[in-house]
Amino acid sequence: MKLHASIADYQADIEVREEGPRVLASIDGCDYVLELQESGSGGFLLISSNQVFDCRAEGLPQSGKSIEVVVGTANYTVTLVDPKRLHGASSAGAHADGAARIIAPMPGKIVRVLVALGDQIAAGAGIVVVEAMKMQNEMKSPKAGTVVALNFEVGTTVNGGDVLAVIE
Amino acid sequence: MRVIRACRELGICPIAVFSEADAGSLHVRLSDEAYCIGPATSIQSYLNIEAIIAAAKKAKAEAIHPGYGFLAENSGFARAVGAAGLIFVGPTPEAMEKMGSKTSARRAAIAAGAPVVPGTIEVLKGYEEAYEISARLGYPIMLKAAAGGGGKGMRQVAAESELRSAFEAAQSESLSAFGNSDVYLEKVVERPRHIEIQIFADTKGNTVHLGERECSIQRRHQKVIEECPSPINDADLRQRMGETAIRIAQAVNYVGAGTVEFLFSDVTREFYFLEMNTRLQVEHPVTELVTGIDLVREQIRVASGLPLSFAQERVRWQGHAIECRIYAEDPENNFFPSPGEITFLRVPGGPGIRDDSGVSEGVEVSTYYDPMISKLAAWGGTRDEAIDRMRRALDEYAVGGIKTTLPFFREIVRDEEFIAGRLDTGFIARFNERRRERRVRSCGTSSSERVNRESTNRDIALIAAALAYSRTRREAASDHQPRDQSKWKIAGRAAGLSRIITRGSLQRDRQ
Repeated sequence: MKLHASIADYQADIEVREEGPRVLASIDGCDYVLELQESGSGGFLLISSNQVFDCRAEGLPQSGKSIEVVVGTANYTVTLVDPKRLHGASSAGAHADGAARIIAPMPGKIVRVLVALGDQIAAGAGIVVVEAMKMQNEMKSPKAGTVVALNFEVGTTVNGGDVLAVIE
Repeated sequence: MRVIRACRELGICPIAVFSEADAGSLHVRLSDEAYCIGPATSIQSYLNIEAIIAAAKKAKAEAIHPGYGFLAENSGFARAVGAAGLIFVGPTPEAMEKMGSKTSARRAAIAAGAPVVPGTIEVLKGYEEAYEISARLGYPIMLKAAAGGGGKGMRQVAAESELRSAFEAAQSESLSAFGNSDVYLEKVVERPRHIEIQIFADTKGNTVHLGERECSIQRRHQKVIEECPSPINDADLRQRMGETAIRIAQAVNYVGAGTVEFLFSDVTREFYFLEMNTRLQVEHPVTELVTGIDLVREQIRVASGLPLSFAQERVRWQGHAIECRIYAEDPENNFFPSPGEITFLRVPGGPGIRDDSGVSEGVEVSTYYDPMISKLAAWGGTRDEAIDRMRRALDEYAVGGIKTTLPFFREIVRDEEFIAGRLDTGFIARFNERRRERRVRSCGTSSSERVNRESTNRDIALIAAALAYSRTRREAASDHQPRDQSKWKIAGRAAGLSRIITRGSLQRDRQ
């Protein structure tokens, strides 16, 4: 499973694979092999070459939403973004009445722009394609309207949270 | 909970009262009988005198212990309990009334020969009088609005040259805030410690003291950490303060457990009477740990007409105890209350640790009452040992589902000023300042070993988050139930699943 994660101003791509009781993780090229003991309600005991990490995740994590993770006595606010679920996250920018803002859910590169400024579009029409973690994601408009802003050109790098386009 | 435990030890059947919000709470679970006395709002339940007495009569109770919040210092309640033919475990309503008002308590203390903060309790007639009295007391002095509160109309005056303008400012501020320009003045006790003496009196004429508690560490005038003895640990001072406290208690014919609060100046080593609390206090465990005396047990003994089980000469202070009040508040968000369900609870144990908690896993911390969830106390042979144990216990303590003040305490017990015992009521303000500086520093220069450990912890946090995420995704994929199910159902199902899997793999092993 590939995810994009952020803690405060630290961002990383993370890949996690489970093989029986072992967890194989790779974070920005750093590899971890961990033994996992799970205790329900978010408790994860991870042991990495005899080093013990008593962890607990608070609540049920969802793509694009932050959760609290306790490691020992240290507290972290972690936001995970699942590239497979970008569509769900992007539609969160929709407002029933006013303008809909198409927001980049994670850092990436604009690989295609499918509309032009002033275009009349239908709900669900593709606006831009963002490549993140080697996957291309088409960002769709949550509503019908006019493209009133297109903030990035093909080839530019965007940050998570950037407004890519506005539909009115 | 504390009272229920003492009752059980004495073979008394504890009867609980509870509000609708507390129906499943720990104190109800551990009582023999429990009576609902009204809705969640405390005015309609825990402060509802008629409902409580009606419940006591229905249960055919003999006595009522008021605890240490809500009605514990309400003389009207004590009187109503007596009128209903029940025993009130506490002092007489008359003693509560005398000590309830600041001015009458101050008068009683002066009559008993106790030192009070020097100043006028009467209103100043004018600038001339303020000038004369200030010159006699010595600066700095504090001007206070007679009708005051909340810092309005208060002015600290460091020297004579500032007195006139400060006097006029205090008068006009007082007039605009309270419609009354009366002010009085007090000498300023610089960097005061808040030290209180535990006293105990029975109905046979015995009044004893159990030494002091240091309660200087306060936030918003609420005690945060208490210690017994004070880091000053001066036997002569303890005796002088103890005797003064006994005289004050005797002056109002006090019966039961009570606390006399003093301000103490490290500069002049003098103490001044502040007020008296006519009840058992939240911080009583530190005194119990050091003296070995069960204060609630003694309260019940005294209420049933028995003499105290010990005499003054038998009171010995052994070692040192510290208590932290664990609150459901977020220290990272200005101590905002953090209500919610406690999804995980690991309570520390081991040598010298005592946890007086009112919650359990699965319990909802409501917004209706004080958000204190536990009092964690540590005892050690010396203050250093007590701090070591407290630090260890705080690190062991884990509460899931809500934010608590545990991280804040973990930092305090590692603070050099705290470890050195340099405490006064300004401690928290200075501690917060040091904390900010430490954070700014740690952003820039950290040792590489520390950076390594921190980045590993951070990576582990990401892995744990990813694992939690994969669990929710798996649940969502295999689940055709409506989405708004409770976390408990999910946790329960996950637990059931893992049991089945375990059994399956065991069978495979046998084959």
